[in-house]
Amino acid sequence: MEKSLFSFIWKYSARQQIYILLVTVLSYPVVYVLLELPKLIVNDAVQGANFPRSILGVDFDQIPYLLLLCFSFLGLVVVSNGLKFYLNVYKGRLGERMLRRLRFELFQRVLRFRLPHFRKVSSGEIIPMITSEVEDVGGYIGEAFALPAYQGGMLVVQLGFIFMQDPLLGLAAVSSYPIQGYVIPMLQKRVVILSRQRVRNIRVIADKVGESITGVAEIHANDAAAWHSADISDRLYENFRIRYEIFNRKFLIKFLNNFMNQLTPFFFYLIGGYLVIEGNLSIGALLAVIAAYKDLAGPWKELLSFYQMTADVSVKYQTVVENFDPPDLYDTERLTADDKVELSGDLVFDNVSFSGGAAGQEVMDISLTVPAGTACAIAGPDGSGRSEVLQLAAGLVSPSSGKICIGPHDLDKLTDSTLGREIAYVGGAVHVWTGTIRDNLYYGLRHRPLIPPQREGEELRLYKRRVSEANETRNPVYDLEAVWDDLEAAGADNIHVLDEKALELLESVGLDKDIYRLGLQSRFDPSMDDAFTGKILNVRKSLASRILQEPALEGLVELWHPDRFNASANIADNLFFAVPADPEITMDQVPEMAEVRAFLTETGLDEKLQKVGLKIAETMLELFSNVSGDSGLLGAYSFITQDEIPEFERIVRIAKSDQQRPGLSDADRSRLRGLAFKMVPARHRLGIMTDAFRDEVIEARKAFLQTVVKNNPGFVAFDPDVYLPPLTIEDNLLFGRARVDRRDARRRIDDVIRAIVEETGLRRPIIYAGFDYHVGVSGSRLSAGQRRRIALVRGLLKNAKITILDDIATGTTEDDKALRRGLQEILSGKTFLFGTSNADIAAEFDQRFILDQGRISDKG
Amino acid sequence: MTLEAEVEALRKVPLFHGIDETKLRLLAFISDRTEYPAGERLCAQGEEGDCAFIILSGDADVLVNTPEGEKKVAQVSENSIVGEIAILCDVPRTATLVAANNMDVLTVSKDDFLKLLKEFPDISLEVMRTLALRLERTTRDLADARRGAGGG
Repeated sequence: MEKSLFSFIWKYSARQQIYILLVTVLSYPVVYVLLELPKLIVNDAVQGANFPRSILGVDFDQIPYLLLLCFSFLGLVVVSNGLKFYLNVYKGRLGERMLRRLRFELFQRVLRFRLPHFRKVSSGEIIPMITSEVEDVGGYIGEAFALPAYQGGMLVVQLGFIFMQDPLLGLAAVSSYPIQGYVIPMLQKRVVILSRQRVRNIRVIADKVGESITGVAEIHANDAAAWHSADISDRLYENFRIRYEIFNRKFLIKFLNNFMNQLTPFFFYLIGGYLVIEGNLSIGALLAVIAAYKDLAGPWKELLSFYQMTADVSVKYQTVVENFDPPDLYDTERLTADDKVELSGDLVFDNVSFSGGAAGQEVMDISLTVPAGTACAIAGPDGSGRSEVLQLAAGLVSPSSGKICIGPHDLDKLTDSTLGREIAYVGGAVHVWTGTIRDNLYYGLRHRPLIPPQREGEELRLYKRRVSEANETRNPVYDLEAVWDDLEAAGADNIHVLDEKALELLESVGLDKDIYRLGLQSRFDPSMDDAFTGKILNVRKSLASRILQEPALEGLVELWHPDRFNASANIADNLFFAVPADPEITMDQVPEMAEVRAFLTETGLDEKLQKVGLKIAETMLELFSNVSGDSGLLGAYSFITQDEIPEFERIVRIAKSDQQRPGLSDADRSRLRGLAFKMVPARHRLGIMTDAFRDEVIEARKAFLQTVVKNNPGFVAFDPDVYLPPLTIEDNLLFGRARVDRRDARRRIDDVIRAIVEETGLRRPIIYAGFDYHVGVSGSRLSAGQRRRIALVRGLLKNAKITILDDIATGTTEDDKALRRGLQEILSGKTFLFGTSNADIAAEFDQRFILDQGRISDKG
Repeated sequence: MTLEAEVEALRKVPLFHGIDETKLRLLAFISDRTEYPAGERLCAQGEEGDCAFIILSGDADVLVNTPEGEKKVAQVSENSIVGEIAILCDVPRTATLVAANNMDVLTVSKDDFLKLLKEFPDISLEVMRTLALRLERTTRDLADARRGAGGG
């Protein structure tokens, strides 16, 4: 990678830079004439004599001559500003493109690092390098040649103008330049060093913050917050100190510049004044020189700050780029090649040695052969070199000596396109990507875009633009919206077959139950699959009829019924009898929606609910005011938390007093309303839920459906015959509430649901719905075991010739034993390496290599 | 039935005898109110008990396991408390309870009751007093029985 910023800029944008320069040079005459014209207007057109003037054979009287000059001036102003605008846009675009190229290059280099290199770098340091640290480079690139050329040219033009008026004045104008040219770089040198320090320090801070986030549980578990705080605080002080010193120097430079620049007019007035008095210089010329000098200060300042910026940005560029140039990068070819060779044949290690750079990570002089299509255990405790051997076999790391071949192919000479498709490797530390379960399962099939999407019209135009920009910046043109899933590789004809294969594998690793549960909890868009929706509604119906028929089930559930009050649901559900179409809006937020508030006020329900809320608040205070917060009684049972008690005491006091002032605020009222809405009559037996109130709620429900829910796309009404997209699949199946006043009602009804789902063949679609479950950041919403199993299925789905598992399914439980048998069965006929630290487990395999301290100690 | 009715029922339970009304209201509020249709089990002999049942309405059969199968030994009805020892210490259920007809039961869980004891030590005193009285009576009964046996 280019070591210096200028060679980078020149290499990738020489043509554009020259073009910018040309356009800039083109603007000089315009600028010069712009400077010359005012003088001509004053001296010749206004004060001149002997009219008419003859220009291009046309005679001009004084007034037309003045008009001609003034309009030429106007025209030139337009031209010069137009050029400036055009250039600025052009430079901005160039800068952005170069920045994109640079950033992509850096990212690609990260992908080209060899695995052991990642022990030396941290994401906390790499991320700011690619994102924020190079940001300034983009702004600079467009200016790199143009600014010095333009402003330097300006300076020369204007200096030339002054020199042409009078050489002595010219000398006066540049008198301070040598001093500035000497002192400022000296000061700047120190600033550059400080900038480097600052960048490094900020990187360390970023890294430490990142580390604190990843290890936050450790921080709390060890009460190490103080230590980390002190550490960061120290770093921040360091940052402050460096910046403060940079400021000092920067402003010193600024001070010197300003001072010098203002010193020059002193010479003008002295020398110029003398010349005018002596009659050697016209007063018009002196005024023009002074005007020109004012314009001179601009370019000079710009040049100086450009110089500072160059120094600053070059440092940033270098401090970034030096981190992306380790000596043993993979070739770009390894990432970009799309040719796949078939890896059939025996896996052979031929005197292979490897060192990961630390004790317990070496492999010494290993020779082994695993015949094609057989299963083999590689056993050895952690630190025996087991993981290294398996990574070597997967081509993830390269041997320092020796050769690893599969058939005739040396793994070290193969590209990712072969290694990543022909070999499935699942290591002990799996990574699950942020996204859905489906994304993660099919991740191993997404090598290249396969079927481009159909685009036309505006969409096609936008796409073409995207591609041409990518080409401009040497970014890849892979289409993210294309179909990437390589069905053929997985041995599936279409996506449904692939889904089935995935399900089969999930069943064999024992993850199907978990995904079924996730599927029940997920939301499903009914427009995607009408048949599925219909089935769910059928299950809902048969569930309802079974509940009616079977005495054992009756009374476990209260189904939603338009005319009945559901005592196991809270007042909000009962009253609104609808859910917001946007699942992000919780039921608590509904009463605060404008249309709902209007409805509550109009129907007078607002008052009523507030009264109910007040009664609840009173009871709660009476029951819980003597209870201390740490007993666990509060919160778990009451509507209000310990912190809210004083607040509600105040509200109740105000509400009880007869005085009108101070009345309850809107917030207070909404709190009371909130309490009322939260009440579940069957659980909270406060005696508030009278039959009259019950009927009132039912009446209000009907009115609410008529006035608010109907014709409002923001709500979906409860309807036994309609699928409700904002509810989970489970809630849609049950369409009611498990009774809170029956023991184990929830569990018992879940069993019934599961049975009906099985009977109606709905289990499969529900699992597929579970495929769309979002796993959270890096799979944080899954357990460690689930993550490992998903990674395992991902590896198996690749249907690769060679499958390598390390520390996966190595438990001694019956489940894990069955899983290993299943794996051997699934992978029969394929080469299968199984890494484990347990010798007994290794004994389940026909072939074994036992590793100890980096050497093969035994085989069988 | 509301909280007030539950408090009335609790008041009739000897174990809660000396506890004042507001605390009983609290206990009632934090307890679960559960319905059992005829035939449903409240608890099974041998399993770990974690709650006491206060019968608000209906009756339950008390069954014990015998070599010939389950055998009804007693019936409990309205306002009686069953399994109250379970809310004070960990003991397996000594009998099975089956609802004889539709029942309405207040379930006081051990955790909640212990939390309540911790929160209001005077309740502990009342419970202790009740238990001590019972112990004293049992001891005397035992002594009487022994004397009776020795004499006979």
